[in-house]
Order: sequence, then structure tokens, then C-alpha cells
Amino acid sequence: MSAHSTAVDPKSASLWARHYPGHDVIGTRTFGFWLYMLTDAMVYAALFASLVVLSHASNMVGGPAPSEFINPRVAYEETIALFASVLTYGLAMVSLKKGSRRGVTGWILLSALLGLVYLGLSVADNVNLFQHGITPQTNGFLSAFFAIIIYHAVHIVVGVAWMLVMLLQIAKEGFSQNVVYRLINLRLFWHFQAVIWVFVFVFVYLQGVVL
Amino acid sequence: MKNSWKKVRHGATLLAVGALGLFLSGCSARGIYLMHPEGAISKTSFHYFLLDVGIMLLIIVPTTLLAIWATMRYRKGGHGAYQPQWSHSTAIEIVVWGIPLITVGVLSYLSVKAIYAVNPYNPEVIAKAEKKAGSTPLEVDVIATDWRWLFVYPQQHIATTNQLVVPRGIPVRFRLTSTSVVNDFIIPQLVGMIDVMPGMRTKQALIADHRGNYLGFSADYSGAGLSWMHFNTHVVGKRKFQAWVSSIQKTPQSLSYKGFNRFARPYIPVGQKTQPIFGHVKPGLFDFVVREVMRGKTWNTPMNMTENMVAYLKKQSKLQKEGYY
Amino acid sequence: MLVHLQGSWSPALGRLCMKQLAFLHVPILEYTFAVVALLGLAAVGAVTYFGKWKYLWREWLTTVDHKRIGIMYIIIGLVMLLRGFADAVMIRLQQDMAIGPHSPGYMGAVHGYLTPFHIGQIFSAHGMIMIVFAATPLLVGLMNIIVPIQIGARDMAYPYLNALGLWLTGGGAALVMLSLFIGNFAHGGWYGFLPYFELPYSPGVGVDYWMWAFQLSAIGTSLGSINLIATIVKMRAPGMTWMRLPIFTWASLSTNLIALTSFPVLMVALALVGMDRYLGTHFYTAGMGGNLMLYNDLFWIWGHPEVYFLILPAFGIMSEIIPTFSEKTLFGYATMVIASFAIGGVSWGVWLHHFFTMAAAPSVNSFYSITTMLVGIPTGVKIFNWIFTMYRGRVRFELPMMWALLALSLLIVGGMTGMMNAFASNDYMWHNGIFVVAHFHMMVLVIASSIFGAVEYWFPKLFGFKLEQKWGKWFFWFMVLGTGFVFVPMFILGLAGMTRRLDYIPYTAWGPYLHLEMVGIGLYGAALLFFLAHLYVSLRDRESRRVGADAWGTGRSVEWMTHSPVPSYNFALIPHINARDEWAWRKDNGLTELHPGDYEPIHMPKNTGVPLVLGAFFFTLAFGLTWRIWWLTALSTAAIVIMIIVRSFDTDTDMTIPPNEVERTEKRRSDRASDFIATGVPPYAGGPVGTATAYQRLPEPAGGTGASSGGRL
Ligand code: HEM
Ligand SMILES: [Cu+2]
Repeated sequence: MSAHSTAVDPKSASLWARHYPGHDVIGTRTFGFWLYMLTDAMVYAALFASLVVLSHASNMVGGPAPSEFINPRVAYEETIALFASVLTYGLAMVSLKKGSRRGVTGWILLSALLGLVYLGLSVADNVNLFQHGITPQTNGFLSAFFAIIIYHAVHIVVGVAWMLVMLLQIAKEGFSQNVVYRLINLRLFWHFQAVIWVFVFVFVYLQGVVL
Repeated sequence: MKNSWKKVRHGATLLAVGALGLFLSGCSARGIYLMHPEGAISKTSFHYFLLDVGIMLLIIVPTTLLAIWATMRYRKGGHGAYQPQWSHSTAIEIVVWGIPLITVGVLSYLSVKAIYAVNPYNPEVIAKAEKKAGSTPLEVDVIATDWRWLFVYPQQHIATTNQLVVPRGIPVRFRLTSTSVVNDFIIPQLVGMIDVMPGMRTKQALIADHRGNYLGFSADYSGAGLSWMHFNTHVVGKRKFQAWVSSIQKTPQSLSYKGFNRFARPYIPVGQKTQPIFGHVKPGLFDFVVREVMRGKTWNTPMNMTENMVAYLKKQSKLQKEGYY
Repeated sequence: MLVHLQGSWSPALGRLCMKQLAFLHVPILEYTFAVVALLGLAAVGAVTYFGKWKYLWREWLTTVDHKRIGIMYIIIGLVMLLRGFADAVMIRLQQDMAIGPHSPGYMGAVHGYLTPFHIGQIFSAHGMIMIVFAATPLLVGLMNIIVPIQIGARDMAYPYLNALGLWLTGGGAALVMLSLFIGNFAHGGWYGFLPYFELPYSPGVGVDYWMWAFQLSAIGTSLGSINLIATIVKMRAPGMTWMRLPIFTWASLSTNLIALTSFPVLMVALALVGMDRYLGTHFYTAGMGGNLMLYNDLFWIWGHPEVYFLILPAFGIMSEIIPTFSEKTLFGYATMVIASFAIGGVSWGVWLHHFFTMAAAPSVNSFYSITTMLVGIPTGVKIFNWIFTMYRGRVRFELPMMWALLALSLLIVGGMTGMMNAFASNDYMWHNGIFVVAHFHMMVLVIASSIFGAVEYWFPKLFGFKLEQKWGKWFFWFMVLGTGFVFVPMFILGLAGMTRRLDYIPYTAWGPYLHLEMVGIGLYGAALLFFLAHLYVSLRDRESRRVGADAWGTGRSVEWMTHSPVPSYNFALIPHINARDEWAWRKDNGLTELHPGDYEPIHMPKNTGVPLVLGAFFFTLAFGLTWRIWWLTALSTAAIVIMIIVRSFDTDTDMTIPPNEVERTEKRRSDRASDFIATGVPPYAGGPVGTATAYQRLPEPAGGTGASSGGRL
């Protein structure tokens, strides 16, 4: 069998792609960002795996059991703030489709604010725990516990900062190709944080109440 | 082109002959410990090793010959017919996937059998021997420090350093732990490796078939003293073992928990002539060590022991001369 | 401070103090430092003397051209390969000297000439450098160069990120090199041991150097993998369906999928070490609820896929070279692709074989023993397919082919010994022993041989001339001999039960084998000299070995369809792909015209210095963290964030090459090609005339024969 058997008839074959438009930039950038999100998902996967490994009674020496200090109510409030923020960002994307600059700017501003609310709640909760001597240094379980929560919070900080930068860029450039693909990627990023938060909520907070 | 081909052949033959010679001389020579097993576990391992290698050679030797034949016959200017478009044959592809598949299947079966025979958590070989011999096994607690082995005989309340004495033909059961970092316990001619981990206990077991001296060492990298963390395993007759135990029991040194804290401080046994032995050991030392480490106790390595090792070793050898260790 | 540090600390300099400037008071380092400083001065002097700073900055340091980035990756890789080799020589020399209780000691060591702490740093640096800073950059560099050309693209999906990846890798390599002179390096082995790498047992900065250098390279490699995958998926030339993808590109795709998914796990494994050492957490501590086994799991969940990340491109290289020099189609293309992905997939489920001895239940060990052996199936299939590629071919023994065949033979040995390791009851006897070391060196040498083959093979594509063959063959044969002498005794020592990482060998019976290994090292040393001669002679006589597009005459894939050296835009017109081995197909059908004319404007990214500066800041960040100089850490972080944001406002990132400039460049290439046709030096002696036909149809040269450096590549 020949490797060429599937090939085109050489007489009529087109050899060079004239007026080739090149690749689709927005599509490629978005695809690349999906790949990046996959790496971030792997980071979370490794962190959650660590949490599972470090969740045995022997990992909680010298510290309280999770059910003694985990406060699902705070987590619930955080969830509301974050999900509302994701929703408002979604509305920003709807405005983008319509091409409304004011709509996009307004919704993103609101999303950033809600992100800040989430951060405020999270910081207050953690400071409270620290004041009660519940710190990452206490034992292996708490190390993993705080690692996940803080890593997630760092993402929220990055997301909010990114939104602010995008507000400036929209003001400067309008909806240029760069701005549009960045807005699309930011949506991906922001939704992803909400998805991860579901895992945090289930594995860290809810499970914490049970344990 | 011709010329370089000659070189290829020449080089290959030279290498093959050299390698074979070395291998043959190697296996019969002194010091090739894994090829001379002397205990129930190591013998079983070795048996499966031979099976494993034999089966693989059955595949690998013909494959290598095929490769050599193909390169020779189909070299430019060689005798092979040239068919540049030929790139697929279902029959060959089936064989090509089939051979490795079958080989791996057979090897997997053997591997599982071998694992169950010698794995320290289920050493069938030892269990069978115990049943047959009917003798109660000897228990030894192994504590790895930085960088010495302490062998505690809990039934006899004695302990030795870097020296293990066991009776011939009687199963020996080890419990192992470490004070600081991970070590790996092995006596190549008697038993394979098991990790020795701080704050945890692991198990191992062996039966020695013949009297003699067998080397043992730590395999996992544990720091500066690793190269000196080897020990001698002395296999003796039953009666001689009893005599040895009572002679040790007569030594005045004893090992308390506090004494152990001192013993476990980092020390590189370079140039050590005599190894400490203890005629009496406080019961429960092994569990004490595990517990302490779990609670966070560490025996820290001083910085000048690493970054200024030359000076450190000088100081240590002076202390040795003064009989400090 | 959250952790207890031994030694001094000051706000201005962190843990840095005079005592830590090792090159001032460790004799070996004094000389090394002098040599390195002299070499550095010589390089700076030469660049200044020839007035090349501007050229260096404009054409190389700020470039976003994937080929030049690839070349710089390869240069980093080769420099680090040399450093890693120096480490190897030192290790072997110590083990050659320190045998038995009566062996003498020099320079303060009790036996041999290195103290345990010193040799610990050397073998750690050796392993880490060879895997992370030699093999990885070499392969990433090759993929960077070849993949876009093979898929008929002008560029990559993220040229700017690509440059950033390069400079992160460079920063990591620089950090490792710096640890030679300032402070010290980790002393526990390339993969790290926990809790040995915790502060109580590794109080110095060595582990921190190791960790941050590793981390930088991990980030760089992840970025690179995103870039390569996006490029392959989104930027193939029209007509290049998946089943027409060149096999090396397939290998790159599979290997980068591995990198993409596994490197994040490494980052976590290392970050947790960092938190333990900097924040006093208890992820891996023996006490306080830590779990030291967690590290082994996380590390090897990356570590095993990583070794396949390295070997798959090597397999890809072999799959390119062997058909070219067998003058025949690759046997079992589809099978090869399936096998690559099978290897990639299975490599995720085998990590526990790196610690079979960690007291797992027999059932667990059995499971991982079987999964590990499964890897042997696709690997075996590949070996057979290469053999059947040569079968019914016309095998030419030129240097690339010789390297590929060497790789094939080493793969047989490495694969068999790997299968022996996978048989867990064997592994109980020699895990952490020399046998394992010999196994993976066989595999790493497969990679090295493929890389040397690839360099020989694709060099003419990039630089427009072939490397010479005579010294190259000396180099090859001394590598073969050296390998025999080093590794046959090493396998025997492995069966002797000798363990790894020894500073002192207690048993004199092992002496003869260790001495033999030293002979092998001497042969490797000679090989290195031949390699240098190989490069020197090649460069000196380059004019007589100029080649055309199809440098070997029997090239098959798309990269042989553009000029050698490749112009910055790769293809004046994007090729339309009609067959799997497009170039072979065109040659078979007499369609070798490479100058279709009617050029169009070409969009290309503009050069930028931002990635280089970012890389520099990442370096200072890592340095500040290593020495705990907090102001430097904060400053570098701020600089990085600000630069990223500012750069995102830059809209002037692209440029357009007008058609007349494209035409000029194309003409210049053809001039050069017709040059050598005129001098009567055939492009390839003895091969089919594919190259010549490509050029013989050219019109007469129009312009001068300018070989200006600016237009090269
Ligand atoms: C047929 C395929 C292979 C099999 C069955 C296999 C099996 C193994 C096993 C079981 C080990 C663990 C030994 C131990 O630590 O006790 C090991 C170690 C290793 N293998 Fe392989 N291997 C294969 C291919 C490769 C390849 C392609 C590479 C590429 C470089 C490689 C590189 C390594 C390295 C670097 C180590 C040891 C790492 C260390 O401990 O420092 N292996 N291999
Ligand atoms: Cu592995």
C-alpha cells in the first residue's frame, strides 16, 4: 500500500495557498487560554489531592477538627457574591455582543465590586481564624486548607485587577481585536473561578462540617 | 559509504565482545552480591529475576538480530529490493502489536506472583517457612538516625549499632523507623529494600540460609553520612546467637530515652573503630521514637556541618580520638 | 519570621554575606570562577570588538522569531550540557578515588577529593541540569524551530510568550550557575527528598536555589507547551489534515499535552516545599500532621510523564531521520501516532514505580508494576516500526542516521532494563541503586543521540550548509565507546547491589568497575574535543558545503520545501498540502518549483525587549527569594506586574513585510543556490537530485550575490 494513495491528483493539485488569510487570531488566542485554564485546573487538582491526603485525623494534631472552626455561613455569603459577579460579567458579555460600550463598562465595574465584596468576606473570615490561633502553621491539614483558600483568593485578586485594566483598555481602544479576545478570556477565567469555588465549597467547607 | 559501514560493523563487534566479556567476568567475580542470594527472600527474588530476564531475551535477541539484518541487507548498495512506497502491512502490524502484548501479559503474571512472594507486607515465602519451622520469629526493631543504624532486640532488651546479628534458619521480623529523614534498608544477599520513614513504622522479614557476613546499607539519600551508613549482618548458629545475646547483656552501657536523644544527634561515623553496644535498652524505645517524631521532634543538622564540612570533619575526628562517641 | 533560620540575616542582604561568596575561598571554585570570568570577559570583549551589540540586541535578544528562539534554547541547552558533563566528570573522579578504607583523601576530604556535602551538590546539579536545563531546552528548541515550518506556518500562536518561555528557562539556568559561586546548591539529588529538604536538615540556601530554578523552568516549559499546542491545532497550512501531519509534529503534540498537564503538578509539589521552608507550614514534615509521601506522589506524578515528555520528541526525531535515510516512507504511520499517545496516556498511571519500596501493599505494587510494563507495548511497537521502515529501503549511513540507529540500539537496552525495573520484585533489590541509574542513562542517551542526530539533520535547514562528516564520525564513535565503557560496568555494579549517590565506596571489590567507568569518561572527554573540532571545521569550511532547500536530497516533509537557511517568514507563500509526505509527493510528481512568484504582503510580529526584561525580573525575584532579600522580591514582583500591564496597552506589535521585500529576499536565496550550482559542488553527492532540480529551473540571478547576515535565517 502506498502512503500517497489518499493524495490529490498532482495535475490539478493546488500547491500554494494564495491570498491565504492566515489563522483566526481570536480563535487561536481563546483556544490558548483554554489550555492555560487546563494547567490551572491541574494546579487545583493537585492541591485538592493534597487536601484529601492531609485530611486524616493524624494530620490534624495540635489543631481543632474542621467542624469546630469552619463557618459555612461565611462561605455561603461568599458564594452569593462570587456568583453574582459571574452573572454580571455574563451581562457585560451580552452588552459586548450588542457593541454597547456603556453597558460593558458598567457591568464589569459591578463585577469587580462584587469580586471585592467576596475578597472582603474571605479576608475577614481568615483573619478571624488566625486570631483564634488557627493558622497554616498549626498542622498539615490546616496548611492544605489555607493553601487552597488563599490560592483561590489570589485568583480573585488577579481577576479584579484584570477587570480594571480592561476598563482602561476599553476606554482607550474601544472594542479592538485585542480587547475583544481579552474580554472573552477574562470571562473564561472568571467563570472558571466560580467552578473552582464550587469544589472549594464542597470539599473544604461542606466536608469540613461533616468531618 | 562502504568505509563507514565497515566501521559500524567493526565498532559493534568490538563493543559486543567487550560487553559480553565484562558481563561474564562480572557475574562470577567477588562483590556481585545480587547474583549470589543467600536467603529465602533473596533467592525467590533471584529466581523470578532469571525468569524475567530470560523471557525478555527471547524477544529482544531476535529483535536485535532483525534490526541488524534489516540495516545490513537494505543498506544502499546492498542486496535488498527497494520498495520506497511500501509502508503498511496489516499482518506485520498485528504481529508487531501482538508480540509485545503477549510478552507483557506473561511478564505481568509473573511479576504479580513474585510480588506476592516477597513483598514485606505479604511475604508468602516467610509465612511458609515459619509454618514449616514452627519456630517463633526473632524480632528486631531498626531505628535509623543521622547517620547510624540502631538495632534493638526488644525480646532481649539489647541494642547494637551498625551491626546486626541473626541466627541462621530462623525468620527475623523487623519493624523500622527513622528519627529524621527517609532511609532505605537493604541487605543485598538476604533481603531487598524497604523504606525507613520518620514518624512511621514499616515492616520487613528475612531468613538467612547460611552462616556468614553480609553487607547491608542505607540506600535512600539521607544526607552527608549516607556513605558510611552501612552495617554488617552476621549470621550465626542458634547456639552461638544465644551466647552472643548473653555477652551483650553483660555490657554495662544502657540506653534510656534521654540517652537516645543524645545518641540520635547527627554524626558521620567516618573512621569509627568500635560501635556502641547497649546491654540494656529501656522497653518501648521504638514506639517512643515514632511518637516523638510525630509530635514534631527533629534532630537538626547544624549549618556548619554542611557548609563547612572540612572543618567539621576535623573537629569530629579530634573528638573521636578523645573517645567522645 | 515564621521559620527558624540558622545563620545570619539582614534586611538589606538577606542571608547573603561574605562567607557565602564561595568562589572566594573554596579552591576548586576559585579556578572555576577564574575560568568562567575569563570566558565571560572574552565573550563581552569579542562582541564589543566586532561591534555586534546592536546586532545581538536587535536580531537575537529581542527577537520573537521562533527559529531564533529555538536556536537560543539550543545554545542554553548545549552550555548546560557542558556544565552537566563537568559535574559527571567530578562525580566519577570522586568514586574512582574514594574506594575502600585505605583510599587517601585530599583537599580536606576523608576519602577522595570531595566532601559528602560537596559531592551532594554536584550530583544534584548534574541530574537537575541534564534533565531540566539541557535535555528540555534542547528538545523544546528543536520543536520550536521545526514544528511551525513542518506545518507550513510562518510563526507561532504566541510569539511573545514563546520568547518569555525562553528567558524564564534562561533565568533558571543562570540561577543554577550562580549557585556555583554564591552560596551552594541543593545536596540531595535532582528530585529532592522530603523531609530531607526541610529546613532542619537542609538549613542553607541550596534547596531554595534548586526549587526556584526548577520553578522558573517549569513555568517556562508550561508556557511553551501552550504555545506549541495552539500552534499545531490552529495554524496548520491549508490541506494539512491530521493524517497528513508530519510525524515529528505528532510527537510534539503528544509530548506537549503531557507537559501541559503534568508541569502544573510539579509547580504545586515545589510550591509546597517552598511554603514549608518559608512559611513554616507542615505539608511534608515528618511530624505535626505533615505527609512526606505526598511529595513523592506529587513529584513523580509529574516526574514520570516528564521522562516521556523528553523521550517522545526523541522518538519523533528518529521517525523523521530513519525514513529520510532509508529513502522510504515511514512504516505504520497511524500506529506510530497511536503509540505516541498511548505512551503519553499510560505515563500518567505509573508514577508509583518510583517508590515500590515505600511499604505499599502487594496489590498496589502489582497494579503499578503492570501499568508500567504496559508502556513497553507501544515502545516495542515503535522499535518494530522503525526496523520495518528500513526493511525494503535503501539505508544510507550518514551522521544523522548513525545517531538515530545508535538511539535505536540504546532504546532496546534501556527498554529492557526499564521492564526489569518495572518487575517490582527486581526493583526491591535495586531501587535507589546503580542499576536504575544505568537504566535511565540509557534512556537519556537515547534522547541525547536523537538530539545530536537532529542537530546534524536540521542544521543545514537553518544555516544553509551541512556540518562536516569526518570529525563528526570521530565524535560519534567515541560517544559509542564511552557509553560502552561507562555503562556496561555500571550495569554490573547495579547487579552488585551498589547504591546511588555515594561519596565513598566501602568495598574494594567494586573498584575495577569504577576504574573502567573512568576510562569511559576519558573517552567521552575525547568525544567532546572531536565535537568541538566538528563544529570548528564545519564553520570554517562552510562555503564548500552550501546546500539547497532539500539538504539531504531525500527529505520528505514540508520543512524541506523552503530555502536553507529559512527566511524569517518561513514561506513566501503558504504551501497547500496535498499528501502526507508532501515534499516527497511533489518530488515524485515533478512539482519541485519553489518560486511560484506573485508575492503578497506578509504579517509578522515585531521584535520586543519585554520578554527579556521580564525574564530578568523573574531571575531577580528568584534570587531575592532564595536569599530572603525581601525588598528585592517585592520590587521584582511589582516590576513584573507593571510590565505585563503596560505591555498589554501596546498596540504596535505587528509589522508587514511588503511584497517587493519578500521578492528581494527570495531572490537572494536563489542567488546563493545558483552560486553553488555554478561552482559545480553538487548539493548532495550520490543522492537523488531533488535539490538540484528545485534550483535548476530558476531564472538567472538578477541581483548581486549578497550574503548579508541580516537576511539570514
Ligand atoms: C519501557 C519503558 C520504561 C520502563 C518500563 C521504565 C521503568 C522504570 C522504572 C520502574 C523506574 C523506577 C526505578 C526505581 O527508581 O527503582 C524507572 C526509573 C527511571 N526511568 Fe524509566 N522506564 C522506561 C522508560 C524510560 C524512559 C523513556 C525514560 C526517559 C528518560 C526513563 C527515565 C527514567 C528515569 C530518569 C528514572 C529514574 C529517576 C530517578 O530515580 O532519578 N525511563 N524507569
Ligand atoms: Cu517512571
